Amino acid sequence: MIQPLDSVIVHTLTRVITPVIQLFALYVLIHGHDSPGGGFQAGTLFAASVILPIIAFGIQGSLSVLERRAIILGGIGILLFAGIGLLPLILGGEFLNYGKLPIPGMEASARRHWGILGIEIGVTITVAATAVSIYYSLRERGEGEEK
Amino acid sequence: MTSSLPGFLFAIPFFAAIVIPVVGFTNQKLCRPIALGALVFLSIVSVIGLSEAISHGPLSHEFGGWAPPIGIEWVIDGLSGLLMVAISVVSLIALVHAGPLVEKELSGRVIPFYSLSLLLIAALGGMVLAGDLFNLFVFLEIGSLASYVLVGVAGGRSLLSAYRYLILGTIGASLYLLGVGYFYAETGTLNMADMALRLPDVLDSRAVLTGLIFIVLGLSIKMGLFPLHGWLPDAYTYAPDSCTPLLASVVTKVPLYAFVRIAFWVFGMATVTTQIPILVVLGWVGAVAAIVGAYRAIWQENFKRMLAYSSVSSMGLIMLGFSLGTETGFAGGLFYLLADTLMKAALFGVAGAASYQYGASTVTDLARLRRNMPWVLAALVISALSMVGIPPTAGFFGKWHLVVGALEAEKYFAVVAILVTSMLTALYFFRMFQRVWAEESLPLVEPHVLETPFPIKMSLGVLTFWIIALGLGSDLVMGLIFESVIPKGF
Repeated sequence: MIQPLDSVIVHTLTRVITPVIQLFALYVLIHGHDSPGGGFQAGTLFAASVILPIIAFGIQGSLSVLERRAIILGGIGILLFAGIGLLPLILGGEFLNYGKLPIPGMEASARRHWGILGIEIGVTITVAATAVSIYYSLRERGEGEEK
Repeated sequence: MTSSLPGFLFAIPFFAAIVIPVVGFTNQKLCRPIALGALVFLSIVSVIGLSEAISHGPLSHEFGGWAPPIGIEWVIDGLSGLLMVAISVVSLIALVHAGPLVEKELSGRVIPFYSLSLLLIAALGGMVLAGDLFNLFVFLEIGSLASYVLVGVAGGRSLLSAYRYLILGTIGASLYLLGVGYFYAETGTLNMADMALRLPDVLDSRAVLTGLIFIVLGLSIKMGLFPLHGWLPDAYTYAPDSCTPLLASVVTKVPLYAFVRIAFWVFGMATVTTQIPILVVLGWVGAVAAIVGAYRAIWQENFKRMLAYSSVSSMGLIMLGFSLGTETGFAGGLFYLLADTLMKAALFGVAGAASYQYGASTVTDLARLRRNMPWVLAALVISALSMVGIPPTAGFFGKWHLVVGALEAEKYFAVVAILVTSMLTALYFFRMFQRVWAEESLPLVEPHVLETPFPIKMSLGVLTFWIIALGLGSDLVMGLIFESVIPKGF
């Protein structure tokens, strides 16, 4: 577990900044394929919005368990990416050929649009979860040394 | 449907590598069945891929539906199909063998072991199938990262050798990437088939020459070719016994494949022997590597270190075969590559079994196999005879074709090098046998020793069977190589 910081300034600022970071992360994610940004950038922003409150307010529970959960979440993100890539392959197209995604009532260009967004969400989940798990892992080592 | 086979060949082990940690943290017992199931499936698909490639010509998969040379292309032809079958089958056997060893050595790290092994196999598949030079680099790095961790996964002494491997391997990868950069600057393409068309116009350029030298140096570090093999003996000696059969059998072979692909398919036989005579140089390097590796192996007390030097020697022999510049030499090199994959998996498997049962690590310790593990000893004898080159094992036919190829090419230094290497190999294996049978001071009964676990016996049995079967069926395999693998230009 991580002890909370004893500072009013940090607590208040964290409350204000965290939702802004998350909103900006969503913006970067959704506009990733037609403007600067994308899954990786959005993922690091989300990770920051998770790590900041943990530093400020602390967290209960064993760090190694939390780290393990973060790794599982990261795996699920890759599975989402690979699953969207694999669907067209199974349906007789090519890996990551979003045009062959089985979404009814949609033109090929629209399917490509949504397909890219889908894999970007997978990337975001994985990057955010990996960054958080790295934070837990470093923090766990630090605590071990303090004891 | 068949054109999507390359995609599946990568997706199967990759998916399993991700599913294992996701599922494994809740139920660790599921790791092994998922890994083995994926590899069985992979082996079946790669056999289908090879037979399709032989009967209908190369299969190409265009990622995302974008046509090459702009899009990314993966290809199964005769060579990559054959390598893919070898990788998937040998890694399946190696992971079956690893089962009991993992539980003993790496009990807290079962999930990383299986996940990284599958990631390594997926990356090796990606390297073999990649149709462009940059993709090859990406998978070279993924595979190397997985193998650095596998070398160091047990902690302790192995971490140091893993660190050394990491530093040298990264230098190798950087050199390779630098070379690819030069090629890209000169030709404006990364696709191998497209580059093969454009290279003849720019062969005079020094950038191409420099790029080729960088690529050959980088891949030589990765494949452990003498004198750039510095990382290899320590990495193989201190890596956990559960990982070495997989690491030693396939990981160095695939960078060699990458070299062969670039030399014979991208540049073409005529260019690399006359215009940029890199094959001539590598022929000499291979001959020296084969002899020095075997010579160093004679003096090793540690069994795994002896096998590691033997790998350096085999790498030299294979490189020598490819550099001969005749069809028989090329086919012999490829045949010996396949044979060595099986032999190294079997020999490191025996090393793992001996250390599992007795904690045996030196050559003299192997004498204890005689008392309680006759079947493991039999596997050791057969694979050692194959290494030396005694008929009817695969090693004999590999060396036979190499010698025939060297005679056809009228390169007598190669003939001498192959024969000297065989004699030195015989020396270090017979020294081992002498220790095994001459040792008298053994305890008569060792009651605490358990029965050899079935997975170990079975995998060693299967490997030995294939060593003999590949020898007996060498005509078939050589026929296949001549018919559908040999590149144009001989």
